[in-house]
Amino acid sequence: MAAVRELQKDLEAKANDLSKIQKDISKNHQVRKKYTIQLGENELVLKELDLLNDDANVYKLIGPVLVKQDLAEANANVRKRIEYISAELKRLDSTLQDLEEKQNSKKEAMFKLQQRIQSLQAGKDKA
Amino acid sequence: MGEPVKGTVTSLSSIFAPEDAQKASVHVQEVISERQKEVQQLQAFLNDNTSLVNLVKKLPDQLHHDIMVPFGKAAFFPGKLIHTNEFMVLLGEGYYAERTSKQTVEILKRRGQGLESQIESLNAVIKDLKFEASFFDETATEAAEGIVEIREDFVEEAFDEDKATTSGDDDFARILSRIDELEKEELESELAEEGEEKEEADEADIEPEFRNLEIKELLDIPVSKDSHIKVPTPSGSNTPVMPVDHNILKEGLSHAPMSRDEVEVSTLVSSSSNVSSKTRVAASSSSNASSKTSVPASGPSNASSKTSVAASMSKEVSNFGSRSSNDKAFTGSIVEHTHNIENSQKGQTSAPAPTPASKPVSRFKLQRK
Repeated sequence: MAAVRELQKDLEAKANDLSKIQKDISKNHQVRKKYTIQLGENELVLKELDLLNDDANVYKLIGPVLVKQDLAEANANVRKRIEYISAELKRLDSTLQDLEEKQNSKKEAMFKLQQRIQSLQAGKDKA
Repeated sequence: MGEPVKGTVTSLSSIFAPEDAQKASVHVQEVISERQKEVQQLQAFLNDNTSLVNLVKKLPDQLHHDIMVPFGKAAFFPGKLIHTNEFMVLLGEGYYAERTSKQTVEILKRRGQGLESQIESLNAVIKDLKFEASFFDETATEAAEGIVEIREDFVEEAFDEDKATTSGDDDFARILSRIDELEKEELESELAEEGEEKEEADEADIEPEFRNLEIKELLDIPVSKDSHIKVPTPSGSNTPVMPVDHNILKEGLSHAPMSRDEVEVSTLVSSSSNVSSKTRVAASSSSNASSKTSVPASGPSNASSKTSVAASMSKEVSNFGSRSSNDKAFTGSIVEHTHNIENSQKGQTSAPAPTPASKPVSRFKLQRK
């Protein structure tokens, strides 16, 4: 009996871990989505900036203030932002993979535990 | 028809439970509606974009416009819109660019194109989802109705021939009889030429048998084998064999065509083996013919005896002819012999195993096609 209870507690703990991991995975997905959208937008901006004449005025909205910016500066800033976002995405991808692996292993462990519990209970019922 | 074909019968409802199929279909429908909402949203953006383009085009028409400027939440005051050709366009990510009306229109058009491509891809996705949903619906209804999936091993027998033969009885009969008479005449003339050697006596014996059989069996209209009969007709070498074929056809009319293959084989084999022993065969055939002709053509035993008679006769015919190539003559004739005659063969024709049966059948099929 005690063994069964222990195993069951173990199972619960593992189930909690699994749910945590799953939450992390969903968060990861959301952040990934956001970053992907931003990346797309930045690429559009870069395209338009390239089409501008050199003497055109570019302004950046910082809070409630529209600040005039240099075209070259604006180009550089946008490019850097794109790089940053891509790096973030890659990082998130690797984290996501790790989380998924952990999730799978936890699932397997839980499954095994369940089997053990079942066999023990079956043994007890017989006895 | 053929032997019982092994197969599996699986009820569709066992593979796809109807409730599950319905649930899946409902789920897919939900996803479809979601995508459609997105498409509608994008379409709204596109519409806004077009109206904006129109406005931007119109503004530079005047140096300044008189407008009511919004002031706070609920107030307006009259004002003027100046610098009508200067637009501060949002490029994205907090970046603005000063552009003229034309340049702004270009930017907006490019954005519109991007929106359109997004809409198109979403529509494609929706289409695929709809196909999925319809498939699920169909399986659900089929499973509910209890449609069953039947799988059978493909047995390559001449089932087509069976079906082909059971149609158009009367016409075929008439054509047959005409062909019979024509070929009788041909055969007689040929036999007359070639029978001047040893086989004259045999021919004499056999020909009356031929005629007897023909006359008797002309009455029995062959239900089938029209197609088969026609096949050898074009090939000239087969014509002398025709009357014999018809005879045999009529003989074995009512019998199941099952044993076709085997009989074919047997006739082929026996014919090839007995080329030399014409005389013996002739004697046996004549005796057979005399003994069996009187018996009505019904019942397997008769069929078998007649088959052997027919087989031997066909051999005779082919041997009479200068065609040493038994194959040509026999492929057509053999097919016809064996069709309506049952399997229970005795004597010469029963020995050969059915394994080589595939060859004559296939040859026949080749001829037909």
